[in-house]
Amino acid sequence: MSQVEKHSFHFGFLRVAQTELGFVGGILVTNSMGRPLEFQCTTPVRPNKTQEILYGPTLEPFLYSELIGKTLLERLNVKPSLVVIQQDSLLDLRLHIDMPVACIVPSDSKQAVLADQTRIQLGRQLLKFHPNFPDDHQLVAQQQSIIPDDAELGEPLDRVKDALQETMKSGAVA
Amino acid sequence: MSFFTNYDAYIPEENPIIEEPPRALLPCIDIETQSPVFNLGSPEIHISGMNGALKRKPQLNTAATKLINTAGFVPGWKPFWPKLKTFGLTFPAGIDFLPVKEEKQHDDNLRSIAPPKPKKSVEDGEVRKKTTKIKPPSNALSVEDRLFYVLQPPLETWLRGQELIMPFEPYPYQYDGIGWLFSQQSALLADEMGLGKTMQMITAMRLLLRAGKVRRALLVCPKPLIPNWQREFKLWAEEIPITTLEGDTNRRKMIWQIPGSMVLLANYEVVVRDFMAMHEDDRPQFDLVVLDEAQRIKNRDSVTAKMIHQIPRKRSVCMTGTPIENRAEEMISLFEFMDVIPAHSSPDIRQLSQLSKEYILRRTKEIVKDDLPPRIDRDEIIELVPAQQSAYKIAEEEGVFRLNEMGDSISIQHVFELVLRLKQICNADPYTGESCKLDRLIADMEEVSASGGKAILFSQWTKTLDMLAEKTKQFGCLVYHGGVPHKKREPILTQFKEDPDAHLILMSYGTGAVGLNLQFAGYVFLYDRWWNPAVEDQAINRAHRIGATPSQIIVSKFICKDTIEERIDLVLRQKRELFQRVLGEGDNDNDSHSLNAGEIFGLFDLKARSGNTSKSIGPRPAKSDAA
Repeated sequence: MSQVEKHSFHFGFLRVAQTELGFVGGILVTNSMGRPLEFQCTTPVRPNKTQEILYGPTLEPFLYSELIGKTLLERLNVKPSLVVIQQDSLLDLRLHIDMPVACIVPSDSKQAVLADQTRIQLGRQLLKFHPNFPDDHQLVAQQQSIIPDDAELGEPLDRVKDALQETMKSGAVA
Repeated sequence: MSFFTNYDAYIPEENPIIEEPPRALLPCIDIETQSPVFNLGSPEIHISGMNGALKRKPQLNTAATKLINTAGFVPGWKPFWPKLKTFGLTFPAGIDFLPVKEEKQHDDNLRSIAPPKPKKSVEDGEVRKKTTKIKPPSNALSVEDRLFYVLQPPLETWLRGQELIMPFEPYPYQYDGIGWLFSQQSALLADEMGLGKTMQMITAMRLLLRAGKVRRALLVCPKPLIPNWQREFKLWAEEIPITTLEGDTNRRKMIWQIPGSMVLLANYEVVVRDFMAMHEDDRPQFDLVVLDEAQRIKNRDSVTAKMIHQIPRKRSVCMTGTPIENRAEEMISLFEFMDVIPAHSSPDIRQLSQLSKEYILRRTKEIVKDDLPPRIDRDEIIELVPAQQSAYKIAEEEGVFRLNEMGDSISIQHVFELVLRLKQICNADPYTGESCKLDRLIADMEEVSASGGKAILFSQWTKTLDMLAEKTKQFGCLVYHGGVPHKKREPILTQFKEDPDAHLILMSYGTGAVGLNLQFAGYVFLYDRWWNPAVEDQAINRAHRIGATPSQIIVSKFICKDTIEERIDLVLRQKRELFQRVLGEGDNDNDSHSLNAGEIFGLFDLKARSGNTSKSIGPRPAKSDAA
């Protein structure tokens, strides 16, 4: 793989957190080596009682994917090649965007030992994809060679968490 | 059309008929008491006193109204979410360096280095992983600045095998230092000598260049240390081009103005001279200025300090092992350079102490002993001072010429004499006594004595030791060599051990190399090199015994750049490596480590002239690699 192709593969690490002020989301776009290129985060969203009652169990996936995740993806100047998430509620983001979304399967999860065609090992993590988009698996498999075997795909999500805390603390998005 | 009862029927008419109350309700007047008396026996009045009108049937009126054909008010709800606001940060484009060409496996100037062995954790047998996150500096106020640092990858993943190739794995305290230097706008790295200040600074610069925070840096150091920095950059950041400020005024002026040069390396004298000659508007701007041996500017009224303070810069970093040599006020000039106090201000001790906590990072061997190996070897590559350079050049040219003239009658003794002569010039200029090694030793000893340490210095010449004894009296130096009578030797060793002001003992390889136990000394200087690394190891072992030494030992080897010492060092290293590969680490006392006749001849390119042609003189040097 050429240097240009290698450098043009970007990750988007997306995380949504619940704070006292509501739900906030952040996305960090990095190059294939984890070096940061762009970061976007949202102002807090707090559903009211009516919304909570009427959305019921669909509230969280809606907030995570359609409202926060989609908005963040739209605002990015550097578009990622793959969105990496760790929260299942974000997986439906794939229904609203035109790029693969991969969810990290926790290593201690029972799911980790299941044989599944739609999973792939990238770096040290096992990734799963949205069941409606079986081709995503193939797209990511093609990039497997450029990701070092010891890459920690969960680590940048910790950075997003820290950055969200920093922005909330500073009141930048409150 | 339908009819229904309308409540309007209850609304009283505009002129209601007011009926008289029934007579039975009117009270009678008691004649005696003159008080009203109700006639409760009347059936028209309830016992509760309620009006009998309640019993009256309501009047009901009816009226016709139109039927409506739509439903009335139905409460409605539509999902509405306010448009989300976002906050973003785009990172500056870092500098992408071209990958460094792979060196040939058998390059004479390089030696293979075994990577450090990873530590195993006791519990799971796996490598213990520590991550060093970069923290935003306390004085970073804007959220963008803080996020820039928070969102950087942990140093271990950034450095290890992914984007930046490191020749050795840094020690954990070095990762901390690199992360700290990366995030500070103003910093003073004051680690004790031998803990790797240079490496930490180079790696931090490397990361700053990669992250786009720094595009142009200036590194100022004492002149003799220029080769050392060049060598360390080659080792730790080979991809970063270094431009050294040297040559005549015009050449230097051109170098200052070259826009593409990323890292400029200059000595204090050159910076002062050139900045004095430049108009203020013509002075080059830097994103980062690093001062090595920053105590050079401790006197803020000196010309050096004044000119250094004027260098236009965004970030300021000082490096020194002795931030305070005599008075706490010496820090003020350094803080002024670091832009943490206003110019000409005079902070008191309490303020200085507060600034020190925030802007100084100092670790001693004691603090980081768990991270360090028991022995650290460091080569100090030093440039000869002009007087030495001149004497060396003449001696080498004349010596080689004379050897060539001798042709096949040359013996090992002749070559050996020339080697000794050149080595002596490396120690000091025979005419003026000037010595680059002495300057370096004094700078190092200032650090050692400031931290209360003790050092042993080895040389092969008693004459050199006597010269050094004169020049290093300020460190309470003691002399121990073959010329010292036997009965005086033991008291000297006792004094070195017990006198807190005795920081240095000067020893000859012959006398001090064996049989002494000086394990309280934490530093060893090899002022010149012996022919056999085994003898050097024996000397070093005066201060260091595995398992018996309470703290780490730092061994500094002085090697003059572009001299016979570099060539000897290379041969010795290759020999040591070959033996270690074949026989293992334990084989340190082998006499065959010594330079043989072929290797000594090989130090010079000797050629005997025969008519119009020439041929090499002397035995062929032995191949250093069995392969």
